[in-house]
Amino acid sequence: MMTALEIVKAVSAGEKTAEQITRDSLAKIAELNPSINAFVEVFEQDALSRAKEIDAKRARGEKLGPLAGVPVAIKDNILYKGHKATCCSKMLENYVASYTSTVVERLLAADAVIIGRTNMDEFAMGSTNQTSVYGPVKNPIDLTCVPGGSSGGSAAAVSAGMVPVALGTDTGGSVRQPAGFCGVVGIKPGYGRISRYGVIAFASSADQVGILSATVADSAQVLEVISGKDVHDSTSLEAPVPAYNAQFTNGLEGMKVGLPKGFLDGLGEDIKEKITQAADRLKELGAELVEVEVPFAKYAAPCYYIITSAEASSNLGRYDGIRYGYADNEAKDLNAYYEGSRAPFGLEVKKRLIIGTYALTSERYEECFLKAMKVRELIREDFKKAFEKVDVLLTPTSPTTAFKLGQHDEDPLALYLADLYTCQGNIGGLAGISVPFGKDAKGLPIGVQFYGPILKEEKILNAAYNLEKSI
Amino acid sequence: MEITKKDVELAAKLAKMRVSEEEVSIYQAQLEALFKWVAELAAVNTDSVKLTNVNHCAHIRPDEPFSDLSRAAKLRGAFDEEQAGCAKVKKVL
Repeated sequence: MMTALEIVKAVSAGEKTAEQITRDSLAKIAELNPSINAFVEVFEQDALSRAKEIDAKRARGEKLGPLAGVPVAIKDNILYKGHKATCCSKMLENYVASYTSTVVERLLAADAVIIGRTNMDEFAMGSTNQTSVYGPVKNPIDLTCVPGGSSGGSAAAVSAGMVPVALGTDTGGSVRQPAGFCGVVGIKPGYGRISRYGVIAFASSADQVGILSATVADSAQVLEVISGKDVHDSTSLEAPVPAYNAQFTNGLEGMKVGLPKGFLDGLGEDIKEKITQAADRLKELGAELVEVEVPFAKYAAPCYYIITSAEASSNLGRYDGIRYGYADNEAKDLNAYYEGSRAPFGLEVKKRLIIGTYALTSERYEECFLKAMKVRELIREDFKKAFEKVDVLLTPTSPTTAFKLGQHDEDPLALYLADLYTCQGNIGGLAGISVPFGKDAKGLPIGVQFYGPILKEEKILNAAYNLEKSI
Repeated sequence: MEITKKDVELAAKLAKMRVSEEEVSIYQAQLEALFKWVAELAAVNTDSVKLTNVNHCAHIRPDEPFSDLSRAAKLRGAFDEEQAGCAKVKKVL
């Protein structure tokens, strides 16, 4: 599959039509999706009509947008008017979006083609894509392995070459971790960079839309299109959006890259070696390596599970059969109605709602929720101090490469540890990007991650771009 | 931090979810492991931390004067049962 930038160039120059590109993408999906299960619905007719409109626009001599003819997949929790958005849950199996999210509006305005919705962990809760009501996604690199999650469908779709770009959402690493597992690029910008309007909420203080693509330059192009203030989302930030691709430099002279002390402790040899190699490569490219201390970052994962579960217990309260979701019309009284209407939630979602509700009970509020919120402040302060000394931080994306489907089913804590390095970015509100950097002994991709301060996405993109180019 | 089956049942009830006995056992074991991990946060000194994103006002009930008694009586009359001057509603917990 061509990259997004190659497609834009070819379609704008008339060397290819948007319809041809869309048909190629549809054919690839038809060929590979039965074995990978990345897509839960393909908008075939809609996508072809859209592609023909773009071709007609060009034929009329009109200027095409910055994503002209690029097929884009969207995660099943992002709204596109008139299309289903189910969060891969039985709870929303018949929900049809009544409006379009800002991110999709901006993609359409840039002449992209929305090709379908991708599989995900139910309500974005998971890191393996095994909790989807549509069944698990398989990793295109090794079909016996998980693709990561929760945006596993989006990562697999890009990795298999079905689409050049897909949108995901990232609450604790749900874009970057599957990107690392599937050998593609995944970026989660800083909190507030992209509007969350029309994105089904999991944990509102951590949720962010992210981009999965085959190259860093493609992610940069899409980020530029979908970023920026949105009047529909008061948490979106009022700040100019740079032309990210124009910020790339040839080499990293003058860039200070921080290596967090102790971050490699306990890692497997393969990943430790790759991170060390990546650091050496950055040095060769002109960057200065600086050891930094972020002592509270090790507490990010427990904070993450308390805070996001508490927020989920509130956000998912709307699925009561009255406002949204399945309605148990056989129930005899109000309690039975609520309980029956909330029965379609899967095991993982129920567990997180129980965790969140428990952490918010008056007996546990101070000890759990309030404590986690306070430690979150210390973690944020840690990163703020680190970015006074360096431009970006280098870390692993995940402590392991992709593991076998079902491998950790009996040990959910082991699964939660998959988010160890990524959830720090959500707890700290940072910008983070995972970029593929080699493979382990089994041939599975290894991702390395760069963190940068909020509204400084250009720095992590530039570091990732240079590292990608050096391979 | 010990998590009992009763804790799980209570949280499930507050979250308006029905959980089977089998699910309670599974969740109890998993929550216990998770909350042991969470208990590590107790070692962090947060005495001087001021939160920037918690709305404490949400927990404060405004002290509203109660003046329109006829309206209150009308409201109580809309319920089938009354107890000690209050409308009786169905038990939740």
